[in-house]
Amino acid sequence: MLDKDLEGVKKTFVQESHELLEAMEEALLALEKDPGDADTVNALFRAAHTIKGSSGVLGAEKAEKFTHAVENVLMRIRDGEIPLTDAIIGVMLECRDHMLSLVDLFDEGKDELPGSLAARDSLLTERLNAFLPASKPGGEANGGNGEAGAAAAAGEWHVSVRFGRDVLRHGMDPASFINYLSRLGEITSLTAVHDAMPSFEEMDPESCYLGFEIRLRTKVNQKTIEDAFEFVREESALAVIPPGSGVGPYAELIKALPDDPEKLGEILVSCGAVSRKELEQAMSARPGLPCEAPPEKAAFERGASGDASNKPGKARARESRTMRIDADKLDALINLVGELVSAGANIDEHSRRLRDGWLLESSSIMSRLVEEIRESAMRLRMAPIGEAFNRFHRVVRDISRALGKDIGLSISGGETELDKTVIEKINDPLMHLVRNAIDHGIEMPEARAAAGKAAKGTVRLNAFHDAAGITIEITDDGRGLDRKKILEKAARLGLLNPGRNPSESELLGLIFEPGFSTADEITKLSGRGVGMDVVKKNVEELRGTIAVESREGAGATVRIRLPLTLAIIDGFMVGINSSHYIIPLDMVVECVELGEADRRASDRRRYVNLRGATLPYVRLRDFFNDHGNRPPFENIVVVDCGGQKTGLVVDELLGEVQTVIKPLGRVYSNVRGISGATIMGTGKVALILDVAGLVQSVERAGALTA
Amino acid sequence: MAKTIMVVDDSASIRQVMGLTLKKSGYDVIEATDGRDALSKLTGQKINLIVCDLNMPNMDGITFLKSLKSTDGYRFTPVVMLTTESQESKKQEGKAAGARAWVVKPFKPEQMLDAVSKLMMP
Repeated sequence: MLDKDLEGVKKTFVQESHELLEAMEEALLALEKDPGDADTVNALFRAAHTIKGSSGVLGAEKAEKFTHAVENVLMRIRDGEIPLTDAIIGVMLECRDHMLSLVDLFDEGKDELPGSLAARDSLLTERLNAFLPASKPGGEANGGNGEAGAAAAAGEWHVSVRFGRDVLRHGMDPASFINYLSRLGEITSLTAVHDAMPSFEEMDPESCYLGFEIRLRTKVNQKTIEDAFEFVREESALAVIPPGSGVGPYAELIKALPDDPEKLGEILVSCGAVSRKELEQAMSARPGLPCEAPPEKAAFERGASGDASNKPGKARARESRTMRIDADKLDALINLVGELVSAGANIDEHSRRLRDGWLLESSSIMSRLVEEIRESAMRLRMAPIGEAFNRFHRVVRDISRALGKDIGLSISGGETELDKTVIEKINDPLMHLVRNAIDHGIEMPEARAAAGKAAKGTVRLNAFHDAAGITIEITDDGRGLDRKKILEKAARLGLLNPGRNPSESELLGLIFEPGFSTADEITKLSGRGVGMDVVKKNVEELRGTIAVESREGAGATVRIRLPLTLAIIDGFMVGINSSHYIIPLDMVVECVELGEADRRASDRRRYVNLRGATLPYVRLRDFFNDHGNRPPFENIVVVDCGGQKTGLVVDELLGEVQTVIKPLGRVYSNVRGISGATIMGTGKVALILDVAGLVQSVERAGALTA
Repeated sequence: MAKTIMVVDDSASIRQVMGLTLKKSGYDVIEATDGRDALSKLTGQKINLIVCDLNMPNMDGITFLKSLKSTDGYRFTPVVMLTTESQESKKQEGKAAGARAWVVKPFKPEQMLDAVSKLMMP
């Protein structure tokens, strides 16, 4: 194989092994809860089995050897020979980690194990073998492929074969075997024996009635010749007689075969195996060694009938048919689709201006198609969040044990789909929040018992779709957030004016401020200098929002709302003076008019009465310092931001648009209230509003002046 | 005309190795990820030989083999089963279902070629 090919295979192998190891971990953790699930045991075994097979083929010897030991234990578990205990699961989890190291080592091109891994390797192998019943050695007995007796010079061997009746039905063609044999040496003589062929009426064309007497001049040993017939050996009668064996074996051969002895003798003589005289002497001198059952007959007895049912469990639901695509290719496609959307919007705009009926119609058909393409292209990127969630089983298990807490993880909504890049980027924040929940949220078992709660704590991960986004909830049933501590800390950090009594959501929102941590001591788990502010920043980079809810003594919920995708959004375009802005459509609730009469009264208080409820508003014109003449009528776009309704006052409502988000340059990364830009059909730039950031900075300004 | 071999295995890396090895020896190769996939790819074209893993999701090798034996045009297509030494019982099952040739995993590419050439008509 070429090196380049080999590299490709290696890459596939490493990736595949990583996936399988992931599946193994998942299966092990599932079995920890329900050890009797045969399907999962089967899947577990299959994962190890596949890794072993492919690592062997690829020459990843260390991984192969170790996985073999793992597989050995798993096989016995699958076959019910040894029970699946927690101890085995524990060791298996460690083995799985070790396999990961071995695969990675192979990936790096290293053949030798560094000391620590080698020690681990032998330790784990030992522990695995301890699970095996005592009397089982390696089972490598039949693997002896070695050249048993080195063959001397080339001699003339005799090969006698009677093919079984069913060889043709099994897809074996006698000619193929003869052909293979000819590669081992030179066939000096070949005679077909067709005595077994019945009369034409009785003959079954699918059956094989043939046999051959072959002389083969070769240097190879007996085993190699016999191996040529490996696949038909059991059902066929085969005799391989070494050169210079004398007449004895030939005489026995004639007796053993059901063919006409005279005819067979004739063949043997004519091919030069024996002389006529020798043969006659031998045949008469030895009157009948008890002839064993004709080998052919015995061999023709077929084993179990062909349709003995053997379904090893139904296919697991998760094993769907998938195709692996390079993420870059997908990104290129999405990018192009994005451009297509822009171009489509452009044509749409022009055709509307031209008022050409045909053009309008074609353009609307095209828009619809582009929309469909966009949707299916986006769907390509979608993956269920469950994958990311499942990773936490292990995290929760390991950390809670390390802390001496008893904590279970419950997952719901794992099938909720969202953009793969979002999943990747949400992983770190999730990790932080889950660690937080375990470390700070959930109490020690004694404390829980004292508070009258179950000793076992629960961390819950939940995901669901809402509007055009996805909500992820991390809930724990721990002690909840300590309001008093937050207040103290906030006062110390100068985040709150002393004496001010903030609202619940405002107070809890403080934990996302930089440098805010109420944990008394920094533990090695959560207090790693990465605070909730970083989590919040990560979430906001994904154009998401984060909020926390606390129930004193009963736990806390962190709620993250994310857009489904990063590349394209449905937006609502508004105009202020001559500038255009885009509000993410999923945040827009409704639009109302702000007339001049209303305006005068409300401007002082900065809120309007919306059907009896107060609606605070932000005038974008002021926010962006756009000093032009106000039109006589302004509009309020009501947006829903983290459950809170806010009005955005704009000049004009320009309607829905699809926009491809172009990130702003680094220079603008600190600009509040704007998350990106897009190029409109006309070629002009419109800014995309970061509604959450905008509302927040206004709130803060308000809080400081209040 | 090049002979066509179908490779049925759920492991992408094994498929890739076998594909490369067989192609280099001048065979055409069709890949299938499991028994069900393999059956769906038997669409009347000539297949000279099938190399098939035993333990696969969706449809395992033995079920596939049984279906193969009742698929017109492929009833007599030779099948090389991939087994491991830990699957002696599976080997028996495979035989009962009509497979007579096998290669023990892990195998070297040459071993696979060797087995293939035993079954392949000149």
